[in-house]
Amino acid sequence: MKGLEFWKNVSIGRYVESDSPVHRLAPATKYLWLLAIMIPVSSSRSAVVVCASALLPLVFAVLARVRIRFLLRGFLPVLPFIALAATFQVFLSWPGDASPVLAAVGPVSLSLREAVAVVMMAVRFAAMMLAIGLFTSVTNEGDTARGVEDLFSPLARIGFPARSLALTIAVAFRFIPIVAGEFESVVKAQAARGADFGTGSRGPIRKAKAYLPLIVPVTVRALERAESLAEAMEARCYGSGPATRYVDSGGVATDAVARIAAIAWIVAAFVAPALIASVS
Amino acid sequence: MERSNVRRIVVSGALGAVSAVMAITPLGYLPWFGGASLTIMHIPVIIAAVLEGPIAGSAVGLIFGVTSLVKAATAPVGPLDPLFVNPLVSVLPRLAIGFAAWGAFKLFRGRFLPLAAGVAGAVGSIANTALVLLALGLTASAQLSGAFGVEVSALPAVLATLALSNGLVEAAAAAVFTSSVIGAWKGIETARGRSKLSGEGR
Repeated sequence: MKGLEFWKNVSIGRYVESDSPVHRLAPATKYLWLLAIMIPVSSSRSAVVVCASALLPLVFAVLARVRIRFLLRGFLPVLPFIALAATFQVFLSWPGDASPVLAAVGPVSLSLREAVAVVMMAVRFAAMMLAIGLFTSVTNEGDTARGVEDLFSPLARIGFPARSLALTIAVAFRFIPIVAGEFESVVKAQAARGADFGTGSRGPIRKAKAYLPLIVPVTVRALERAESLAEAMEARCYGSGPATRYVDSGGVATDAVARIAAIAWIVAAFVAPALIASVS
Repeated sequence: MERSNVRRIVVSGALGAVSAVMAITPLGYLPWFGGASLTIMHIPVIIAAVLEGPIAGSAVGLIFGVTSLVKAATAPVGPLDPLFVNPLVSVLPRLAIGFAAWGAFKLFRGRFLPLAAGVAGAVGSIANTALVLLALGLTASAQLSGAFGVEVSALPAVLATLALSNGLVEAAAAAVFTSSVIGAWKGIETARGRSKLSGEGR
């Protein structure tokens, strides 16, 4: 009965409790920096910008006292994939590749351009994984939801439901352990009645059919709980007037500086390569 | 019954949690022929769209997309996982599932309810498959050709084959699951408030 205890394997991110300068930043500031790293890393064409942005999460990890090895652990399973992509780059040559050849064995050659492409791909993946891993280890669940509201608060003035979205995310966080527990008890109940979840050697169609009496009750139970929660909230007049917040975050000078720095970084990441290109 | 805003928010949150749990545990995959697996993680998104409208559907889609992004970044398992770290692949296509499913449901709503839900499930699932593969093809063609071992020019054919072989079975599975869940839930809702015995004689 291995694999029945889903709850043990359920974790979104890995929050590390600590009192570092990075942990103390307001959630919206952390989101801004996440964007400031993700956008250049995923879409900038300049190698310098990508590498500089990839170094940022490492700097923040040191500041946040999160071990870098802990963040890079997730990178190991990806290495075979990158190796495969690298091999393929080596075997196929780019059309019109005039860059110097670094190494050649028979008909197969590794040119500078191919090597750069492989390294850049690895750097991009590593940087994005580091950034997201770090964000989840310095931001707890409540802050993740509150940050969404703060981040979208400028849009809320033109009617974007920032508060509703934040509440949806907070409810989802609260429901995750409940739903996981629900799955566990339904799987156990079905297994006790002889259901087979991926252990036997029966045909795939029969295995797929076994999931129907699992998904339906869990979803319906989640909907029932949601109905009761909605009723309880309506009974307490949620949504009938302005609501206040229990935790108020933001407004500290460090946050203002960090936010301006994040926006400046995004702008610089796209303006600087264009400027350099126009000068030279 | 008029659906209140609080109800819509809370139901989206609950279905988002179902989707998130499916995305982080092996429960989101149906075992299928030849070691391949079918995803059923997008089904809560379709259910939300059918029950509470397109905005709730995209809110659940957002939760689903972000969960798959975080999972791909912190605990990757498959060779394609690193590509899902890009929000253009993992989040953006998932926002559209809700709209597609809700549109399909709207078209058929006057008819037999489980049928309308089934059609919504199939359409939502096809939207998911097509848009994710499209996003993958647009953003990561070089890496994909490496992963599949084909030239970049042959990539559209490979992606189309994948869409047909996996996507159609996933659409059928989504139709069955959505229709069953909606049927069960609506059955509960209509029976609520009166004694079960009173309905049995008819």
